[in-house]
Amino acid sequence: MADKPKPLLASDRVRAYLTLVPYLLERGQVSLAEASDEFGVTVDEMRSMVEKLTVIGLPGDAGYWQQPHEMFDINWDLLDEEGVIEITNDVGLRRVPRFTAREAAALLAGLQVVAAVPAVSDSGLVAGLLAKLSRASANAPAEVVIAPDTVDAVRDAVSSALSRGVAVSFRYQAPDAAATTRTVDPVQVLITGGQWYLQGWCHLRQAMRTFHLDRVSEPELTDIPITHADELLPEAFTEIGDDDEVTVRLPERLVPLLGDYVRADNSEVHAGVVTVRIPIADPRSIKRVAGRFQGRLEVQHPDFARAATRDWAADALALYRHP
Amino acid sequence: MAARIPPEERQTNLVVALMATEIGLTKQQILDNISGYRQRADAGTRADALEKMFERDKDELRTLGVPIETIGDPGDPNDLREARYRIPKAEYDLPADIEFSAAELAVLTLAGSVWSAESSSADAQAGVRKIRALGIDGDEPIIGFAPRITVRDASFAPLQSAIEDCRVVTFDYLKPGEEAPRRRRVEPLALLDYEARWHVYGIDLDADDERTFLLSRIVGDVTATKQSFDAGLREGAGERALAGLEAVAARNSALLEITPGTEAALRLGRRATAQVQGFSVPFVDVHIFADELASYGPEVRVVEPAVLRDAVIARLEATIAAHTDAVGVDAVRAERGVR
Repeated sequence: MADKPKPLLASDRVRAYLTLVPYLLERGQVSLAEASDEFGVTVDEMRSMVEKLTVIGLPGDAGYWQQPHEMFDINWDLLDEEGVIEITNDVGLRRVPRFTAREAAALLAGLQVVAAVPAVSDSGLVAGLLAKLSRASANAPAEVVIAPDTVDAVRDAVSSALSRGVAVSFRYQAPDAAATTRTVDPVQVLITGGQWYLQGWCHLRQAMRTFHLDRVSEPELTDIPITHADELLPEAFTEIGDDDEVTVRLPERLVPLLGDYVRADNSEVHAGVVTVRIPIADPRSIKRVAGRFQGRLEVQHPDFARAATRDWAADALALYRHP
Repeated sequence: MAARIPPEERQTNLVVALMATEIGLTKQQILDNISGYRQRADAGTRADALEKMFERDKDELRTLGVPIETIGDPGDPNDLREARYRIPKAEYDLPADIEFSAAELAVLTLAGSVWSAESSSADAQAGVRKIRALGIDGDEPIIGFAPRITVRDASFAPLQSAIEDCRVVTFDYLKPGEEAPRRRRVEPLALLDYEARWHVYGIDLDADDERTFLLSRIVGDVTATKQSFDAGLREGAGERALAGLEAVAARNSALLEITPGTEAALRLGRRATAQVQGFSVPFVDVHIFADELASYGPEVRVVEPAVLRDAVIARLEATIAAHTDAVGVDAVRAERGVR
């Protein structure tokens, strides 16, 4: 399930065993591939964990070593010949443990976020799940609250286009550009920071694009079946056609405010000041980002982006000086 | 025989042993008989080192949610010399009356996929895995939606631990407009994601009142103290925190003139109510709202309140100053110029 299996720590392995044993007992025979996928580890790691399970068992008694029936055992032939795991003797850990406080907290917060997804809110399952998770937790989880999100007509229309598998057309008002009418094969709705983005195949641009739903109006479902669902999704916030670049400088402690713009390969730190080269379709549009930083972010290059940033603020200031 | 038994093997053996006993095992029985300890004892490891190892193992297992019960001397509960240890099944097992349907598992699988932070993501996945270990297979996955929770604040994890453990924390907090950060002592009760920013809600012990702090304004480390607080305070804290911020937003309303058809109109539109002249928009924090409004440049003008208008003007002036010098004003120097 995990993208990149990583080496486990001792505590990760204990946690894995406590779930792995009931999982294997419940399912009888499970291939190494399936189990390693389920537990997010490599096949080799899973094989080693299962082999080591056979040295785990009940305590010995009064100085004697344990008897074989007091230890876990597996079907070794099946494992060696077919790569299939089967527990043949078990000495405990039969039941699935409760959720840890952290597990419950992570899922409870996740539920609050997905509650806005129409397929989830329509199911009416969220309230019941919140209660079940709280009750099934070993210790009281720290409360992590996600302020509820609302679904408006645009979000609703895009969601139904997605579930029906048809293209949706709408008016799109990108910043500093003329409004356009787009027809899009919806592939995915990205929800982050309370903002909704539609990612899909734009018939006008003949390419995958990301659309901020706040900039979408007059949505209409078409009866055109989607044809580009399998295309590679664009990376979240790189607009395709980001072939230009702008250089900015800001104090290191403010870097988190720039979010996804900053990566290891496009920034360097010197004496507490970070220089970032941001790929961007129109360098002038950095003026909106820069405006948030109270002058602490300086647009360095190119000159016309720097001038655009200054003029943007100056035009705004004029509204207060000459109302 | 002195081969090193890895800690996971010793700890898992400990869980098996403590679940197999009804009356509990004494520390001595554990150290003498459980594989992982006994080999070390046989190899001559000192008793106090072994006892420390057992204490650490207990702590680590408790973090994993394993409820290790200590049964002391009924006559003297503080005397742990003859204490017995066990894991009560009823508290270990996922309650048998809780069932998850295939449709519920599909929802939880989506809920488990939202964390971008590695540790929370691993926790969520481990939770989903436990449900699948019950033998449930989910419905078709809910596709097409990718909700995300992002946490960039280093203070999130220590605050979450402190809430779980009911520990008072201290941290330095820098309010905008103040020269230097001020040390706060807080009973943290809930974490809250509001308008895409993380907040911690709790009792400020010096103010002796509830407060909500922005994680992005915490400077440096969050330290958990030895002082604990009553777990009862945490009940319903999330709801109180949310209601508190919503009440603030309801009280604070800005009157704005917004140019129609612009980015500002689109982004503010979701929150705005039309007035005779302009739009009213609620806000929680004047500084954060001023940052947003300054980014819209000439697309928006603040009519009132004055404190917000002044904050926006100060930002615009600072941005102009930072971009006016032909050679380039040093970003750090510009920062000093900001009020």
